[in-house]
Amino acid sequence: MKHQHILLFFISILVITTVNSQEKQDTIKNIESYGIRIGIDLNKPANTFFQSENKGLELVSDIRVARNYYAVVDLGFSERTTNEDYMNFTSKGSYIKAGFNYNAYKNWKGMTNEIYVGLRYGMSFFNQTLNSYTPNVKGTYFIPITVAPNTEFKDLTAQWIEFVFGMKVETLKNLYLGVSVSFNNMINVKDPDNFKSLYVPGFNRVFSNNKGIGFNYTLSYLIPIIKKKK
Amino acid sequence: MKKYITILILFVFTIISCEKDDICIEAITPSLVIRFYDNDIQTETKKVADLTVWANGKDSIYINQELDSIVLPLDLTKDNTLYKFSSGLIEDEINFTYTLNDVFVSRSCGYKTIFENIQIDSNTSNWLKDISINNSTIDNETSAHITIFH
Repeated sequence: MKHQHILLFFISILVITTVNSQEKQDTIKNIESYGIRIGIDLNKPANTFFQSENKGLELVSDIRVARNYYAVVDLGFSERTTNEDYMNFTSKGSYIKAGFNYNAYKNWKGMTNEIYVGLRYGMSFFNQTLNSYTPNVKGTYFIPITVAPNTEFKDLTAQWIEFVFGMKVETLKNLYLGVSVSFNNMINVKDPDNFKSLYVPGFNRVFSNNKGIGFNYTLSYLIPIIKKKK
Repeated sequence: MKKYITILILFVFTIISCEKDDICIEAITPSLVIRFYDNDIQTETKKVADLTVWANGKDSIYINQELDSIVLPLDLTKDNTLYKFSSGLIEDEINFTYTLNDVFVSRSCGYKTIFENIQIDSNTSNWLKDISINNSTIDNETSAHITIFH
């Protein structure tokens, strides 16, 4: 599963670079815009559209604080139902991520594309509902019945650190298309009694080693505030 | 146009769902472990000849075997299970009662049920002379929970 996603991630990077390289640069600007960039994650509304039990929205924003540094804040909420072999549960909550990106890409004159590495601190507040489960039994001598306790575990929290790699490309003037992959490390998570926080909004699936992975596809718009000469 | 294709491709990539990548390796719902001992020398195990075991109204789990220990699943949909034991043509029955408790194991294993406060509600003793409960909580299968002397 991971390999597949990583492959897709790189393919999408290639697609974006190809598209970008075909853009014609008619004029060469000597000034660079500094400003607030706001946008949305394209992944979550798409999931909402195609899978009715999953809902979500993420707003992303960054502000260019220095030539190669961007301060980043992402806000989001998500509701997701996970179906496992022996149980079905729903996680619902909101999250905030804050951190910075360092742009490692040397742009041509007048271009403001980014290939960046970044660090985030993430925090999530969520509820998890155990919709149903079937006790796991060896053999078929006695078949267990599926129980639907619908227990909602409230006020769960999680904190984590993300290492982000990604790129942003200015496709139209001031309009950026971005892809990124994040490797998440859980710092601390509150587990429900006799259950576990298996999906944390913002962190995504919590793997058994308390790690996670996230993929973002964003569309964002730059509101230029200051123009600086290079 | 190319930009729209890009966006479309990105959408398609994100929709491809994840596959399972972990399997259940932890211990799940335990069964009842019974050991047979000699009624005359109570420290020695004694094999039962021609042992057939079945739960009331169900197929046999063991048929005409010679064993000194057996593992029996318990019914999770009720708080008791009636087992019948026959050695040759002599038949006995034991009704086990218990309290069910579901315990979370892991994502891939889900929940297991452990049996607490196991008791023998009723039994006949045609060939099963004496029964003792070693451990009233069944949460593993490492040692015998019930000892039967015959």
